[in-house]
Amino acid sequence: MKVRASWLYLLLPIAGVFELCMGIRGRSVAPRAEDYDAIIPVMASLYREGDLVVVAPRWAEPHVRRALGDAYFPLDAIGRSDSQRFSRAIEISVLGEEAPDTQRFREVERKRAGDFSIRVLENPQPEPVVFDFVDHLEPRYASAFGTDPEVRCTWSDRARVASGGLGGHPTFPPKRFLCQEDFYLNVSATIIADEKFLPRRCIYAHPTPTGARVVRFEKVPLGDRIVGHSGMYWMIERSHLGAPVDLEVRVDGDSLGTFSHSDGEGWKRFEVALGSHAGATEASVEFVVSAKRYEHRHFCFQADSR
Amino acid sequence: MTATRQRWLHLALAAGVGFLFLVVLLETTREVGYARDEGFYFFASRKYEAWFSLLGRDRALALKREQVDLAWAVNHEHPGLIKSLFALSHMKLQSGGKWFAETGTSFRFPAMVLGAIAVATTALWGMRRFGVAAGLVAGLSLAFMPRFFFHAHLACFDVPITALFVLTFFAFDKALSSEGAGWPIATGVLFGLGLDTKHNAWFLPIAFVFHGLLCALVAWRTGSNRWAATRRHVHAIGAMTILGPAILIVCWPWLWFDTLARFKEYASFHLHHDFYNMEFLGETYFQPPMPRLYAPVMSLATVPFITLALGTVGAALFLRRASKDLVECERSTLDRHRTTLLWVVGVGVSYGPWLSTNTPIFGGTKHWMPAYPFVALLAGAGFQAAITAAKSELERLGRPRLISLLAALGAALAVASPIEQAVRAHPWGLSAYTPLFGGATGAATLGLNRGFWGYTTGSVTDVLNQAPEGAEVYPHDTAGSSWAMLREDGRIRPDLRAVWRVEDADYSLYHHEMHMQQEEYQAWVAFGTVQPLVVRGLDGVPVIWVYRRPARR
Repeated sequence: MKVRASWLYLLLPIAGVFELCMGIRGRSVAPRAEDYDAIIPVMASLYREGDLVVVAPRWAEPHVRRALGDAYFPLDAIGRSDSQRFSRAIEISVLGEEAPDTQRFREVERKRAGDFSIRVLENPQPEPVVFDFVDHLEPRYASAFGTDPEVRCTWSDRARVASGGLGGHPTFPPKRFLCQEDFYLNVSATIIADEKFLPRRCIYAHPTPTGARVVRFEKVPLGDRIVGHSGMYWMIERSHLGAPVDLEVRVDGDSLGTFSHSDGEGWKRFEVALGSHAGATEASVEFVVSAKRYEHRHFCFQADSR
Repeated sequence: MTATRQRWLHLALAAGVGFLFLVVLLETTREVGYARDEGFYFFASRKYEAWFSLLGRDRALALKREQVDLAWAVNHEHPGLIKSLFALSHMKLQSGGKWFAETGTSFRFPAMVLGAIAVATTALWGMRRFGVAAGLVAGLSLAFMPRFFFHAHLACFDVPITALFVLTFFAFDKALSSEGAGWPIATGVLFGLGLDTKHNAWFLPIAFVFHGLLCALVAWRTGSNRWAATRRHVHAIGAMTILGPAILIVCWPWLWFDTLARFKEYASFHLHHDFYNMEFLGETYFQPPMPRLYAPVMSLATVPFITLALGTVGAALFLRRASKDLVECERSTLDRHRTTLLWVVGVGVSYGPWLSTNTPIFGGTKHWMPAYPFVALLAGAGFQAAITAAKSELERLGRPRLISLLAALGAALAVASPIEQAVRAHPWGLSAYTPLFGGATGAATLGLNRGFWGYTTGSVTDVLNQAPEGAEVYPHDTAGSSWAMLREDGRIRPDLRAVWRVEDADYSLYHHEMHMQQEEYQAWVAFGTVQPLVVRGLDGVPVIWVYRRPARR
């Protein structure tokens, strides 16, 4: 039977009803803030120190952080540069989403808590970290100085905390190396936003007007390579107005490589093989930061030895 | 019913819809925190208010250049009319009469009234063209577009310019279909008021000239007299040319001195506006090229689907019927389609700038909001087409009496989803997305902007009001003057102090925008915690969260 064209107009009220129903259903698709408390007991039974906790989709992470607290989200995990260093991860998922950076992990356990799917994941090829330089930015291991003029930076436990706000420098924490050249030219462990505005925990080491900034670590146990990343807060980098920043890695005085970071490259990985230094138990490692023009170079790097 | 009685009925119904909309806005304004730009306009309006006050006391002094400049230099990158209305509303209705429970509402009131006028005009125009039900569908479709509904609460210019836009179009349409000087002059006056509202008004003459050219083309095609087809265009555009700039200058004291230089500065500000950040599909855009799909995708994502579907039907039928008439050289083509053509031009001219990848997108959907009354009117046209088809089917089936019932039911179905969406999103209007995109959750997953302007501080005042006495709060993206208004209105305790460095604060707010995440990380390091005290938002999607310094826990 031929359908009269005018009956096609029936699609309009159907669309209206359909959209209305979808809208009403949409109210309850995602869990509410208080629903996230359901994951607390499950996570308490699953979580082990050193686990990486990831949330999918990422926009739900603030809810999970509110419910679980800092113990589940140490800065080195939430500001990680890669997930390969973690041998185990726990993924908290809503709406059937999967976290992108644990997709190569293998599921070993799955639980449900309310609206949440909680998966315990194992990394089939973890890369254990022997020494994390960001974690050890403290006088027991580290020192910082400028080369021209030769100025040693002094450690403070109670320096004035300072944040640059939107478009400004990252927060300078109370514990940091204060360098004489300028308030902004300190050396500190902080967090910057990368090209995707993801958090990256790193050592802030602004280049100096002349010479170079050296961040030296002593008595460093080494694996067979040093893996790291470097970059700047994306709103600084994306303008492409600054000079490239060079980062040289030296081990026991041997230069093992220099990596240049240009604006727009984002959070960029570097890696050096340690060769004859591999497996050393008490090495001296230096990171030498320099730029031809030092202005607005909010350089930050992360490194570890694996 | 006589034509006169019908006209009055339409006017009464449209005014009723507008009035009800105004009541709804007034009843729901308290939940909407003060947006960043509102803060700037509060500040400017108070300066203008002082000048108006001086004008009342000592006119000669007030008109001196130094007094004019003292007041009107503030926020002179935007014209003065709407801020003057904010000032006068505060001065006369609040300071003079305590009309409102909150001072902020007195500043917002003129924009709300203009929002109501936009809705009423849309409803009236729809009724005049297609009947009561279609007009109601058009008016309510505009009123409850979630983004329009949100912006209609604010002491800003986006809804006022939308109102002036549709009013000027309406007057222009009346000018085309009438004789005499009245409607052309009205068009010119409204154009001038539009110019003194926001720069979108500069597109009005472009729209009307384009409409005139199309009418001339139609007249040529149908063998009609081209001068007769465009004579009234010339009259109305002539009135706009004379009255528009004159009203802009007269109603904006900043232009009373150094007029040309200051006008050039104003134009230059908008022609070379900074590019702010805007997230779209997981990317933050901050400089050209901007994504060309931004306007169409964001319209699909934020205007209720039923409104767009009805509008598409309305536009498609117009095109089909107008094309048919043109092909057949039907001499009444212009009379039959001139108004709907004007609506289509209204949509086109409002979206047109976003065909260029150099046009900023930082304001999101409000940039092209003047298109929305015409989208709503086309939705009314689509609705009427559906009702007409239903009527013929019912007559064929021998049930003509059911048509009124069906029209009422259809109108309810046409506006039910928009109303549900707007009500549900309140007061998180800038986080509102349509079910087609999965609502707020779908949009968050897609990487669409969750809000801007820092207005959602208004949604965590209960948390802040539980802070210890004298606590210091970092309000993040909320402007100082917006924070001050929250305090003045008693929404925030007077002892709570805003500080502008997170490290100085006991509480830190974070209004989520992709490019602002560094500020959350700054709070993590400054406070030594990544655990928010409270996370709030729309449908489970975080929009604002509050950190408390652990030492105070």
